Amino acid sequence: MERGFIKRFINTITRSKSSDDSTMSAISDEELVQMYIEQEDELIFEEILSRHADKVFGLALRITRTTEDAEEVFQEVFITLTKKIGTFRGESKFSSWLYRVTANASYMRIRSEKKHESNLSLESYAPYDEKGSLMGRIRNKDWSSRPDLAIFSKEAVTIIENSINELPESNRVVFHLRDIEGLSNEEAAKVLGLSVAAVKSRLHRARLFLRDKLSDYFYEWRK
Amino acid sequence: MTNPPHGFICKDVVENIMDYIDKELDLETLSELEKHTGMCPECRAFVDTYNRMLDLAGKLKEKKFVTPEIRNRLRILLQSKVKPS
Repeated sequence: MERGFIKRFINTITRSKSSDDSTMSAISDEELVQMYIEQEDELIFEEILSRHADKVFGLALRITRTTEDAEEVFQEVFITLTKKIGTFRGESKFSSWLYRVTANASYMRIRSEKKHESNLSLESYAPYDEKGSLMGRIRNKDWSSRPDLAIFSKEAVTIIENSINELPESNRVVFHLRDIEGLSNEEAAKVLGLSVAAVKSRLHRARLFLRDKLSDYFYEWRK
Repeated sequence: MTNPPHGFICKDVVENIMDYIDKELDLETLSELEKHTGMCPECRAFVDTYNRMLDLAGKLKEKKFVTPEIRNRLRILLQSKVKPS
């Protein structure tokens, strides 16, 4: 798409505040970033911010676990973005690059604050006994067809959020990127500097733990 | 994940669930897994609740965090730190 046109288009829709999402989505993140690198236009930056603000804040919150820290990371990431966006080489998707910057800033923050993380390890977490049996407890707490969960209530969201936050950090961040943000195993591995096998292993244990936690919560909830 | 011998037990369903969901199981393992879950109500409940959990977690993506106030604080900070173009 011709860049001058894209810029004029963005100016128009931003000023008129009548954004047409389907037309807007035709402009890729990478095209926008390239335009920002060349022109440092505030309106282009605003569009990048609109597309990625919640993703950055969400990941920062998942790692740091407080809204205050998440906002500090959020600010740091977008300030870094204005200064170092030229280091984005387009070798990965822009969103992956941004997740990596966010994860690094979040880890720096929790390390500098020496934040307490639980010592819970899920390395050998499994729902079955030594004979490999599920012991009859899964079916007793089967919540998969509860009609009250069909409506995604505020209470259900809180239960899920609390359960995710009980995960150890290394499992929590993988779960967030894969199952909430929808990255592939390969993309999550690149963002976190891990092997694909490590991502899959952490994700597997995270899901088993969460399924169990949700079964406990939803079984007790509105019993 | 694992390539168990014939005759699946519940543990095999659990350890292969990720590849099952991602449709990455070879045909033989897939057939064994589905044969077992067809006969084991415990494993069916496991697969159903596992899928439901993924469904609910995926909906968290729609959650909004950045309020106009947070965005405004960023804007003020950027104006103080970055030279206007």
